[in-house]
Amino acid sequence: MTALTTDRPRSRYLAALRTPRGLTGTALVGILCLAALFAPVLAPQGYDAQGSGSLQPGAWPALFGTDELGRDILARALYGLRTDLALVGLAVPVSAVVGTLLGLAGFLHRGLGTFLQRCLDVVLGFPSLILGISIALVLGAGWWALFVAIVVYGLPAFGRLARAGLLTQAQREYVHAAQVMGVPRTTIMVRHILPHALDPVIVQVAVGMVGGIFLESSLSIVGLGIQPPEPSLGALLNTGMRYMTTQHLYVLGPALLLLLLAWGLTLISDALNEAVHR
Amino acid sequence: MLTFLLRRLPSLAGVLLASSVIAFALPRLAPGDPAVTIAGPDAPPEAVAAVRDALGLDQSLPSQYLNWLGGVLTGDLGASFTTGRPVAELLADRAASTVELAVVAALLMSLLGIGLGVLGGNRRSPAVRAAVDGVSSALLAAPPFLTGLLLVLALGIAFPVLPAGGEVSLLDDPVIGIQYLIMPAVALALPQAAAIGRLVQTEMRRNRGEEFVDLATAKGLSPAQVTRRHVLRTSLGTGAVAIGLRLGELLAGAIVVEAVFARNGLGTLAVTSMASRDYLVVQVLVLLAVAVAAVIQILTELVLAWLDPRVRLGAS
Repeated sequence: MTALTTDRPRSRYLAALRTPRGLTGTALVGILCLAALFAPVLAPQGYDAQGSGSLQPGAWPALFGTDELGRDILARALYGLRTDLALVGLAVPVSAVVGTLLGLAGFLHRGLGTFLQRCLDVVLGFPSLILGISIALVLGAGWWALFVAIVVYGLPAFGRLARAGLLTQAQREYVHAAQVMGVPRTTIMVRHILPHALDPVIVQVAVGMVGGIFLESSLSIVGLGIQPPEPSLGALLNTGMRYMTTQHLYVLGPALLLLLLAWGLTLISDALNEAVHR
Repeated sequence: MLTFLLRRLPSLAGVLLASSVIAFALPRLAPGDPAVTIAGPDAPPEAVAAVRDALGLDQSLPSQYLNWLGGVLTGDLGASFTTGRPVAELLADRAASTVELAVVAALLMSLLGIGLGVLGGNRRSPAVRAAVDGVSSALLAAPPFLTGLLLVLALGIAFPVLPAGGEVSLLDDPVIGIQYLIMPAVALALPQAAAIGRLVQTEMRRNRGEEFVDLATAKGLSPAQVTRRHVLRTSLGTGAVAIGLRLGELLAGAIVVEAVFARNGLGTLAVTSMASRDYLVVQVLVLLAVAVAAVIQILTELVLAWLDPRVRLGAS
């Protein structure tokens, strides 16, 4: 990689999203975000309104049919999508910022870095769902437990990537050049090292969102996540499983949304990853 | 090899010690008095006092921790609060189901993962490569429980060829048992296999550009020999590491897959004891999960050291 082909990071990300893969991912995630955002318009009755009959087959406008209490499954799925998107949309950036700060602290102070690395190793030792269950045990199952679980689950990856990125970039020639030219240390850090060192972190945000959605749905499926009557895609699958033999769409509908969301985010992270590693 | 193992032991002990502290702290961090939570909200004061006494909650925290840790190390795990049975017995009852699932899924995962990687890393057929890329990216977007649910809908309900849930031990009746195991094991294995496949594939493509491959070709080895002896062998280290890393996630995935397929394994035990706040059981399960993941990681590093002399020699 020569200096000539390196554009400014921001335009590189935009270009990555304009590749076929990035475009498909962005479109998928965009449509799902819009659907979640406009859930009150698309389903004005709300997620908890009980209709005429329970476990009715799909028909307009309740395309996925109704659940055991006669509620529109599609409406609940849209509101569930809202829960999931809000959760990862808030938790993953928080995780990224905290993780990056930990990585930065580790980069600036070697002893502290080793100590933080050991702490993150302990977090990493917990399989994702065990971590989620432990946090749900302390905070009580619900939105906040999921939020904290997603933040903590992401920390080791963000911390490690940020520190590794900083260490690599600090060795690069352009940094030495800036030092020789007498550029102040903070300016080198903010203007030169950080923008490049954060590339892997940006990619990891998309990866972390997929992980966060899976963590939410896994915990909710076993009943330790979002509690009824609040909807989330995982919570819908939890109740849907019981009526799977009669109401296929109760599981298929939320599962489909979950798949599309995860696939879209994976495509975006792949596209970003390719742009960064070019 | 022994020195390599010895060098890794302190960090293993560190992680285990830290997670034992965390597991011990969990019920004490939860809001409210653990004794009241365990005895129930309407329990008479004597019952609360009995629980407090049984847990040793009136002692200082360090001595409580040491008592508990001592119990864990000597195999005395205490008794479950909801059923009154010894925790060790509960675990032993459920372990077989989870071990069967995990072993079958791990085998499937390794075979499919390496298989996908080799197919995708083979440069001779672009069509195969594109197909493998598509399949693995679809599998990556579907976590075990989703694959499981879709499998149940397809093969358990729409075309009922396999049992949709429940279990029969492989030891009791291998033929029936395997029918109950196929869907959960496949569901658990597929996403992890895709992740392994991707890593192996990238590694194989990278190794193909190495000079030792050019040398092997120049020596007159057939393409198949070059692939087998030089490209595949050097890429297997990555495969082994990927399998080790994925085994931990596979165990975590087992918790949800057991719920989806109504299997009575350790995962279901973790969920039910968590829901009923059966702390002694949860604590041990958390510690067990971390310990298993840590041991798997060490084993992975041993395999890597055995496959790759650079790792082995660098360590001693």
